[in-house]
Amino acid sequence: MLFFLFTFANIHLNKINMLKIKVILAILCVSLFSLVTQAQVKGKVTDAKDGSPISGASINVKGKRTYAISNSDGTFEVKADQGAALEISYVGFNSQTVKGSSNTDVALTQDSKSLSEIVVTGVGVATSKKKIAFAVESVNLSNQVKVATGDVAQQLVGQIAGAQISSTNGSPGAPLNIVLRGINSIQGGTLPLIMIDGVEVRATDFNSLDVNAYERVEVVQGAAAATLYGAQGANGVIQLFSKKGKPGKPLIEISSSVTSNELLNIGGVSKSRFHAFATNANNEVINGSNLLTFDPTNLEYSANVAYSALSVTSFANKAYDKNLQFYDHYKMFFQKGYAFNNSVTISGSKDKMDYLLSASNNKQNSNFKNNGDYQRSNLTSNLGIELAKNLTLRSSTQLVYTKNTLNDATGRGVLYSLNNTRPFANYDQKDLDGNYGAYFGNAVGVNSYNPNYVNQYSSTLDNKVDVVQNFNLNYKFRKYLELDTKYGINFQQQNVIYRYEDQELNKNAVSQDYFIGNYNPNTSGNTTGEIDNINYRTTFQNFLTTATLRTDFEKDFGLKIPIKTSTQVAFDYRKNNFRQFYAYGYDAPIFTPWNASQAGVYKVVADRGTSFVTYGTLINQRFDYSDIAGASVGVRRDFSSLSYVEGGKAQSFPRGDAYVNISNFNFWKGGKINDVVNYFKIRAAYGEAGGQPGFGQRDILLGAANLGPNNVFTFPITPGNKNVQIEVSKETELGFDMGLKLLSGKWLKNGSISFTQWDRKSDNVLYNVDVAPSLGYGSAPQNAYGLGSNGIQASLNLNVLTSKKFAWDFTTNFSKQTSKITKVTGAEVVITSAAGSTNYVLREGEKIGQLYGYIILKAVDQINPKTGQPFIDKANQGNFEVASNGWVVNKTTKRPANSADKFSFGDPNPKFNMSFINTISFKNFATFSMQLDWIYGSHLYNQTKSWMYRDGISSNYANPITITNPTTNQPETQAYTAFYRGIYQAGSNNGTKDYFYENASFLRLRNISASFDLAKFTKLAFFKKTQLVLSGRNLITKTKYTGYDPEVSSGSSNSSFDRAVDHNTIPNTRSYTVGFNISL
Amino acid sequence: MKKIIIAFSLVLLTVVSCKKELNIIDTNGPSPSAAASEAGVISLAQGTIYKNGFYDLKYSDGVYGRFWAGATGFHEMMGDIIGVEAANAYINQIGCPNKVTLDNSSVLLNPSAINTQYALLRSVNVNSQSGGNPTYYEWAYMYNMIVASNTILNLSGKSAYTSEAVSKKATIQAWAYFWKGYAYARIGSIYYAGIKQNATFEDQSTNGNYVSKESIIAESNTMFDNAATQLGAVTSTTAYNEVLGKLIPSFLQTGKGGIFSKAELLRNIYTMKARNILVNTPIAAMSAAQWSSILMLTTSGIKSTDLIFTGRTDANGDFLGTTIADKVASSATATGTYKLSERWIQDFKTGDQRFANNVRSLNPGIGNFNQDRGNSFNTRYTLKKAGYGISGVIVYANSDAGANEITLCGTFEENELMKAEATLYVGGFSAASITSAMAMIDNVRNYQGAGLAPTLAADAVAAKEELRRERRIALAFKGLSFYDARRMDIIDPSKSRTGCVVLAGTSGALNTNATINYGFLDYWDVPDNELAYNPAAAGSAPIKNPK
Repeated sequence: MLFFLFTFANIHLNKINMLKIKVILAILCVSLFSLVTQAQVKGKVTDAKDGSPISGASINVKGKRTYAISNSDGTFEVKADQGAALEISYVGFNSQTVKGSSNTDVALTQDSKSLSEIVVTGVGVATSKKKIAFAVESVNLSNQVKVATGDVAQQLVGQIAGAQISSTNGSPGAPLNIVLRGINSIQGGTLPLIMIDGVEVRATDFNSLDVNAYERVEVVQGAAAATLYGAQGANGVIQLFSKKGKPGKPLIEISSSVTSNELLNIGGVSKSRFHAFATNANNEVINGSNLLTFDPTNLEYSANVAYSALSVTSFANKAYDKNLQFYDHYKMFFQKGYAFNNSVTISGSKDKMDYLLSASNNKQNSNFKNNGDYQRSNLTSNLGIELAKNLTLRSSTQLVYTKNTLNDATGRGVLYSLNNTRPFANYDQKDLDGNYGAYFGNAVGVNSYNPNYVNQYSSTLDNKVDVVQNFNLNYKFRKYLELDTKYGINFQQQNVIYRYEDQELNKNAVSQDYFIGNYNPNTSGNTTGEIDNINYRTTFQNFLTTATLRTDFEKDFGLKIPIKTSTQVAFDYRKNNFRQFYAYGYDAPIFTPWNASQAGVYKVVADRGTSFVTYGTLINQRFDYSDIAGASVGVRRDFSSLSYVEGGKAQSFPRGDAYVNISNFNFWKGGKINDVVNYFKIRAAYGEAGGQPGFGQRDILLGAANLGPNNVFTFPITPGNKNVQIEVSKETELGFDMGLKLLSGKWLKNGSISFTQWDRKSDNVLYNVDVAPSLGYGSAPQNAYGLGSNGIQASLNLNVLTSKKFAWDFTTNFSKQTSKITKVTGAEVVITSAAGSTNYVLREGEKIGQLYGYIILKAVDQINPKTGQPFIDKANQGNFEVASNGWVVNKTTKRPANSADKFSFGDPNPKFNMSFINTISFKNFATFSMQLDWIYGSHLYNQTKSWMYRDGISSNYANPITITNPTTNQPETQAYTAFYRGIYQAGSNNGTKDYFYENASFLRLRNISASFDLAKFTKLAFFKKTQLVLSGRNLITKTKYTGYDPEVSSGSSNSSFDRAVDHNTIPNTRSYTVGFNISL
Repeated sequence: MKKIIIAFSLVLLTVVSCKKELNIIDTNGPSPSAAASEAGVISLAQGTIYKNGFYDLKYSDGVYGRFWAGATGFHEMMGDIIGVEAANAYINQIGCPNKVTLDNSSVLLNPSAINTQYALLRSVNVNSQSGGNPTYYEWAYMYNMIVASNTILNLSGKSAYTSEAVSKKATIQAWAYFWKGYAYARIGSIYYAGIKQNATFEDQSTNGNYVSKESIIAESNTMFDNAATQLGAVTSTTAYNEVLGKLIPSFLQTGKGGIFSKAELLRNIYTMKARNILVNTPIAAMSAAQWSSILMLTTSGIKSTDLIFTGRTDANGDFLGTTIADKVASSATATGTYKLSERWIQDFKTGDQRFANNVRSLNPGIGNFNQDRGNSFNTRYTLKKAGYGISGVIVYANSDAGANEITLCGTFEENELMKAEATLYVGGFSAASITSAMAMIDNVRNYQGAGLAPTLAADAVAAKEELRRERRIALAFKGLSFYDARRMDIIDPSKSRTGCVVLAGTSGALNTNATINYGFLDYWDVPDNELAYNPAAAGSAPIKNPK
């Protein structure tokens, strides 16, 4: 080798300054000399489970200050005498001490206790959970059976202790609601910061990310950790870790699954099969002397139905068996949906490079007939190159293409129209020209319309391209210092085209003057046909460079103090650009096909952009004293473009945490308690995070609008407010983690418990609050609130059974949290909602998101809590009684009795939520898993039902109730429409009332799956894995809720306050999946 | 090693630029300084009056629509020109009578849970109702207009002009004062109290000194007088025409809309001032002086040939989406969102071509609506979109872009009918005054193409009835009908209208001599959305109607 080097130098470097060569040679000689004169110990560190190499394991020579780190292929070399004791350790694995040799192969066994996991999020430096001073949850995705939607968000439901992740709309591609720790912002919603490998992802929707591309997820809920990510971290952080290629032969993984989905209808929502319309002697529905007939040419009823639901002689007891027939609209429009998932991954590692390439496709069709489908394709690559020793460059890319043709993207339009259609309309009937009708007349219900018409005359094409590109350059100095630079660009381009075809030849639409369109303000037959072209473009960049200085007082300075320190200095820069452009063209030409350039009227509705820049520095200093205790303090200072007008002041966010591992003190180690609790750590953390005002919230600009051919200045409805401040959220958390040694046999061997109590206060919370109209505008951003939240999160892990054949693990996650408004600055703040007629009012001292409405009485002498007097005067109480259905009714009118005033219904958010996860595996061959989710104490306003009460559509109308006849004093049992309609208009029409405010607690079998690896069974040489997976999702739900699904919410996704209304929202689906996973 | 450090440093340096990068300018709208020029202030004077005053509001709903379908539509509901089944913003309840006594003496009460309009308005005029409070709209639109006017007055005083500064400034200020007067007229004619607001948009301030509706009407008249004064300061007709031509949107400079002369604008002002008197005093309480003032003002008011303030839809619905009449009309079988009242139909005289040209009969049974939503809104009629094409006859509804004209302020018809009424009262219902007044009614009927024989009235009662009917027909859908119901004293809970046509019961049985007790509040309380954020200061006039 020496000879080779000399030769190389002589041949190729002879023209270079000889002095330099001499110096290099001298150095080489010295180092080579030292190498040959010292004993050399070599070896390889592997994972005992599957023999895969472990890189980054540390190899310490006992009693010396010599150590090494294993390479990417697991190999290492260290200066030590043959036979010297080497301590091999790696986080997440049990340490081993071995004798060094020239072939020291070490197989480390994984530390099965979850506490030994390493985490990165919130600490910056990979650290064992045993040394972390705040709650951090991690989920290993690699071994899980994947959800049918193929996205990360849905996969996480129920798996994070402390988090409330709810699937609030069952439509394909619908986002989830995520609340980590309480409500910290009103306008900012509750969505946490999403990161991939340390870089923020802002442009791409969380539920567009391919679950196959990630290995692990870490969730940090508290502000102490979120502080590291600046103002954007106030709602907590969810970080995804990309899969990487592992050393060894190329691994090819193929997975394929098919899922059938069916909309849930837990509460048995249906339409009344009986009606109370005026009929003739033949039970034919009439209006006056006119028989209701259906015109097959115009697809409309000849007259309105005649009835008075409030009449005491109106009973919903007539069958649809003559001129009007009953149609099951759910059967007519609901369909079984199918989801197909296919994914191929090739990964491996060779020489100095690791690679992973993956392609996935997810296709789901709508659960509504002819409503289109949703398709997402993800291409992922993850390449790592060791450019030089300890210098690695990594590039990870995810390209996402989403094509969505769902004509009613949320599905709520279809459901609303069906639930407001009286059941006698045959929407499948076509007219004589073969067209569907839009509106069959007021007889069918004034809020009815035919989804078939919408699907015949309109279509949607929503194309979205996402690029998530991260680069990472990392250099580890031999000692002390590590430099790391990350750059991520996250881009999303979305183009949505809505088409409405010309409808002037549709006889029903012409007759009913009912045409569909979107922007066309002058809709009439001859102006129909419209194309809307909507473009959104988001470009987000995140640059982060970090220097980490680590010292070990013992190893580095020879001090006899077991202190390790790490100092993190980081610079973080983020920039977001967003642009939107909407244009419409309407008044289609008479020919087809046609495009927007042929529209009679063309206009750009919106052409608007926003930009945001923030950058800041972070300094975080951490000390660990042996394994016993540790503490860290840090501060982050952020500049942002939204504070520039104020002279560019930076906002500072301090943080700090500390832990004490009591079980490492001698008294514990030696004590009997150690036999049961072999690990016990208490911890405390404090942190601040914030939220900047939105773009434009500080600017006072004029509006500009078209007025005919001119463009004119206007006043904006919501001008900015120069004085708005950043929202700041401060949090303290206290907790403990404990490891349990339970029984000595196979059963209940180990366990662990983590518990955290947290308390959070948010100040200066921003909202666009109404102003007095006499100011000449509508509302203005104001730092209007203080919010306070607190909660508990806990998890318990048990190794229920550990034997050679079986492994049964059990996890339960618990979360309890509540948020209230601690302060309102200025006058009351009203936020609009879809719950009846009442909006949310945010009042000091009250829980956020509560509804106000009328009380329907349940006892005749019920006391009004505001006055202390009975709701019904004693003198009048005789006119009322509790009917057989439990509600107080007026015996004469048959109508329910309600309060005149409105009352708060209380906090609709769940009192707690829990999940129970069991995983049982048999000999690495079969795995069975099951997850139960329990949401307790939540409430939903069943607005769907309220609307179905309006026109006598709900099946409840046919339920007879017994009320005493005040004349005869005899009980009479009838399907009194006066009661049901009376509920609808108690207080006020569609007014909010507690009758529709229902307990939405539920227990759900979220997931059940069984997988069998046939390869292991048959020992097929070629296949590493041939796994068959059978799984079911949402198979069983226990609830008292009478709507479709107690989990839904109609508020915008991740709304801070609008979380308790079910307004024709699409329920989740019950799904069955068959999948194959093959590894080669 | 050096390379590595250099590489890391370079990456860092390329990104760490100066703080300048934080200076992001919001380019989504012009800065306020853009309105400080002649062109800018004119643009602002057009945009803020038409858009902020009639179109843009923080709450809106497509069912009742913007100012010219919603806020004014509520007047037509309470004036019993239209009825509604939809419950958005309680529109089916604000025009729902307390009681209807049918021909057979049976009684239909208001079926709502809150079964009087008084109680309803008190119940829903709370801040938490947000856009569900119907009393919010007119107030908010009109204060938008007042603040816009203040801003225009302020900016026009400071702006540089390219030429003819005096005349241009006076023209812009006359415009602003006119609309400020108009806005106060509408506030004072429906709310029990109001605020005199002189702050500009940039001031972002208001005051809690509520004054009586009478003071608001007085303020309206002052503004109209100021407008007249400014007109007097215009010396260059060319400059006046140039500016006015830019203030009125070009698509409204057609039909009866256009660049009116100074004299025409003055006559528009006089008609509005006459309205301020007429609609705010019950007929029974009108003094001789008031009648004389009205006669004097209307004599100087709008002539049949005058240009007036008009509105039209355009292709993109920039100013109007649909009008009140458009919300009634439909083309074939259906009814619109607003239902045509049988009481309005019955006020047509036989043979009236306006009826023939506009009113369409519905199929039997189609116009019978949910009985639980009201007691008087069933109907046999609706409006025909674009009319039946009878030449020379007014058309009420046509939602096609630009096809139909609505009137925003005073009209010849309103002026002529006020003049007729004042003529009768000033003349003590003498035969001569009746003849003279009936001729004026004929002027209106002819102007609208009614095609009726000359009107004759034998006595005061007959003359009053002719006048009442003609006001009902000629001034319908303009947001004026409730004023008449109020001043003719039929809306008080103790009063009623007799001889009404009502379709009652589930099958819409025809009654022709029903009695309707409306029971509507004459002036609304100040909207709570204002009071919640701007409570009444000490010494304010009552903000709540004591009724």
